[in-house]
Amino acid sequence: MLAEAFTYTTPRTEEIIRLLPELILSAAGTFMMVLIPLAKDRYPSLFGNFSIVAILSAIAASLFAFTNPGTAFSDLMVVDGFATFFRVLVLSVGITTVLSSYRFLHREGTDPGEFHALILFSLAGQCLMVSANSLIMIFIGLEISSIATYILCGYLRDDKRANESALKYFLLGSFATAFFLYGIAIVYGATGSVALTDIRRVLISAASPPVAMIGIAIALMLVGILFKISAAPFQVWAPDVYQGAPTPVTSFMSAGPKAAAFAIFLRIFMTAFQSDAHGWAPLVWLSALLSMTIGNFGALLQNNIKRIMAYSSIAHAGYVLVALAACSEIGTAAAMFYLAAYACMNIGMFAVVVHLSGKGERHLSIEDFAGLGVTQPVTAALLTVLILSLIGVPLTGGFFGKFYIFKAALQSNLVWLTVLGLLNSAVASYYYLRILVMMYMREPGEVTSNIEPLPFTLQAALFLPVLGTFILGVFPGALINFANHSAALK
Amino acid sequence: MAFIFYASSIVAVVATLLTITRRNAIHALLYLVVSLLAIAIDFYVMGAPFVAALELIIYAGAIMVLFVFVVMMLNIGEHAAETELDVFRPRAWLGPGLLAAVLLAEVARLVSLQSGAYTGSTEISSKQVAVALFGPYVIGVELASLLLTAGLVGAYHLGRRAVSREEEIRGVDTDESRAVSRGAAVSAGAGRSSHAA
Repeated sequence: MLAEAFTYTTPRTEEIIRLLPELILSAAGTFMMVLIPLAKDRYPSLFGNFSIVAILSAIAASLFAFTNPGTAFSDLMVVDGFATFFRVLVLSVGITTVLSSYRFLHREGTDPGEFHALILFSLAGQCLMVSANSLIMIFIGLEISSIATYILCGYLRDDKRANESALKYFLLGSFATAFFLYGIAIVYGATGSVALTDIRRVLISAASPPVAMIGIAIALMLVGILFKISAAPFQVWAPDVYQGAPTPVTSFMSAGPKAAAFAIFLRIFMTAFQSDAHGWAPLVWLSALLSMTIGNFGALLQNNIKRIMAYSSIAHAGYVLVALAACSEIGTAAAMFYLAAYACMNIGMFAVVVHLSGKGERHLSIEDFAGLGVTQPVTAALLTVLILSLIGVPLTGGFFGKFYIFKAALQSNLVWLTVLGLLNSAVASYYYLRILVMMYMREPGEVTSNIEPLPFTLQAALFLPVLGTFILGVFPGALINFANHSAALK
Repeated sequence: MAFIFYASSIVAVVATLLTITRRNAIHALLYLVVSLLAIAIDFYVMGAPFVAALELIIYAGAIMVLFVFVVMMLNIGEHAAETELDVFRPRAWLGPGLLAAVLLAEVARLVSLQSGAYTGSTEISSKQVAVALFGPYVIGVELASLLLTAGLVGAYHLGRRAVSREEEIRGVDTDESRAVSRGAAVSAGAGRSSHAA
């Protein structure tokens, strides 16, 4: 019930600092719109450079905000280790997306200004999602991120594939968000609050908790979130949308918004609904198994690299859901680690696809990789590292990601899920190894023989993720320790 | 006034069911308007007159006008005249009219009551809503403007006319090529909306 006691107080300095990354990103995005008419034709790469500076400042601001963690704006936001981890993760994804889009936008002859402004807005939304402490803020962040991503999918106005992709994503995405919002409304009705900590307190301390209402609300919110992370049975949109979207956007979608959606999944379910874990954990268990199986077996039948990566993305969402089904702090930490490792491998893969596909994105078949090992040995070697990481071979980030996830699952006695997950990884290696076979055991085809060397920006977008994969694979300790420390969501 | 609440709730459910089962877009919209009006009455009875007014102004008013406008725009063609005649036939407006009459009776009853129109314990005034929105939730209001800005940038980008058309070389792998046949109405709308959206 609204009381008269609300009084407006000017935000304190530390509250502003806790919101600083979002402020920087939205100011930069708005400023970009002013820059467009001034610099559009003369300095086409100015927009990308400006975005990188803005995102780097936002990363610095996130780290600076973490020096004094706490809540802000009447507890609507919280800056803790968890929020900072995901902020830095999505912002790093943003940097590599910008890096891989310089050449792409030039090649497709489209405007760079709005593209980068939308990337910045989307990142602001994701930063807000991961640091939100109230269902209202989570929803606003989710919508900012989604709206910008819908438009980015259809950014190439004259490309029918992009139009189809954007429209499918928009219609289905809005529908899924409506489910999520309906869930929020029911939670508010049942508990009288939208603040996650208040909901938790009500559900734990209530003499007779509203089981039926909360059950319905959890189911509705699961629909919305499982859609956003493209987990089964709400994964059908992913292959078509991933295939039709411009490749840098596909890369962005599969890493950034997905990680942010997992972050709100973890925060809502491990904070507000933790006491109902016996109710929702079986659903997550089922979704994890379905996602892994549908993703991996679906990818076996594909020949288009973007569709393969889309199905692989569904499968990897399944692996992360295994960690969520464990409902434990180590499970949360394992999911955080895996999302970081997954972002690295995916973005690097897509950087190569951006280059190989050529103008109009025509060369997307897996056969177009034939002989890449001969004509571009360095690129092929780096790509091999990423593919091995996707399979989960030791010394790569993917290995430790899977290791921590299945360890967490075993500790929560999810033996069957672990066994089925490991079998799934074995199936997955088939379609990843097909790419390796194409690169090294076939004669160079038309595409690879005429390929130009990677431009500097794409090299950076490939080298940085490979470096990240190696660091996570050889020295996983630092990151998993940080994740373990910040996994206690209360 | 629990009776009025349940009566308008039933009207809302019936109208919504009819909305999603009508084939003619205009007929569906008429039922949707009724459904929104019924929900506005629900809000009012529950003690939220401000939200009820917003529901009327924004949904039943602005958004429905936009819907009708778009439907009329997309209907330009040979059948447009027939469709418009169809709207004026009693079959089209009798159902929504009856449901709206029920709502009107409820409103009349509410107006005739001097006090005790609310089922909730208190009435939430627009002042209280404003204090909450611009007090503790002010950051949410500000961030909602960021959401609109992102939408605006997108509309600006998608709405501009394309300089070059490359559909011929790009027009592969879409539903269009997969689909066996498509209705003329769909493609007429699709071609236009990609520039006007």
